[in-house]
Amino acid sequence: MKISEIVDKTGLQALNAGEDGEIPGVYVSDMASDIITGAPGGCLLLTLQTHKNLIAAANVVDAGMVVFAHGKRPADDVVELADRLGIALFCTADDTWSFAVKLFELGMR
Amino acid sequence: MNTCAHHWSMTDVRGGYLVVEGCYHCGARSSFFSTEPVPPMDEYREGEHFWEYLSGDQAVTFGLRCDECGRTVDLKAMTGLMLSTCDDPECEIGRMALELGRSASIYVALCGDSTHASGRCVSDEGVAALGDYFNQGRRQGRRRIVVVPCRMRSDADCCRGIVIADSGLTDL
Repeated sequence: MKISEIVDKTGLQALNAGEDGEIPGVYVSDMASDIITGAPGGCLLLTLQTHKNLIAAANVVDAGMVVFAHGKRPADDVVELADRLGIALFCTADDTWSFAVKLFELGMR
Repeated sequence: MNTCAHHWSMTDVRGGYLVVEGCYHCGARSSFFSTEPVPPMDEYREGEHFWEYLSGDQAVTFGLRCDECGRTVDLKAMTGLMLSTCDDPECEIGRMALELGRSASIYVALCGDSTHASGRCVSDEGVAALGDYFNQGRRQGRRRIVVVPCRMRSDADCCRGIVIADSGLTDL
């Protein structure tokens, strides 16, 4: 499923400008160490973590997009870092579980 | 001679804690991986250094194994990965960043001895395998990942970056 389609169907709010692209899967984690050892390339990364660590980890595993759950919003310098690295950021008011269920219902795994 | 093109997978993934110590005399940093939930925090002397506990963050260690030929690369000397933000032309890593521009992200493979007095650092083979691992299957048009050893840093306090560690979780 494409990023634009996920955004349309789940009501995600974009935090920066990013290119559209295919998202092959989902990974849910709040730990940078877990992300670098487990997140598949191109994935939607769903997290509560808004630290720069998260962006550094998302970049090295080539995450396709990052979604901050439960209304979490990263600081401006975190968004700037993601901009520089070309990582699309989004946020949702849904808690992690509720948003994960939405993705599942869209057929994402 | 091994002619395998290598396709790396992570192996021997272990969770634990990255303990960072500092010498309050010379400013050197030392770090090691501990599986103990509460790492040792007492001050101690080692040669000319007086180590004191600075931090202990959840972390992970791993090695790499080639799916094709079975070759394994030991990364035990690596205590962390750091996304470099250095752009100091006096530093080799900073110069590399200026040359590469937006085409690549530089990650520094950190070893446990900031002074490198021990002579140990992440091996060239480990650094090369890490770069290959993170670039294999990377989407087209995305920045390349360049991994460099921390011995390339001109100075640990000047050549900075964002260390991938699980610090900041309390900021959630």
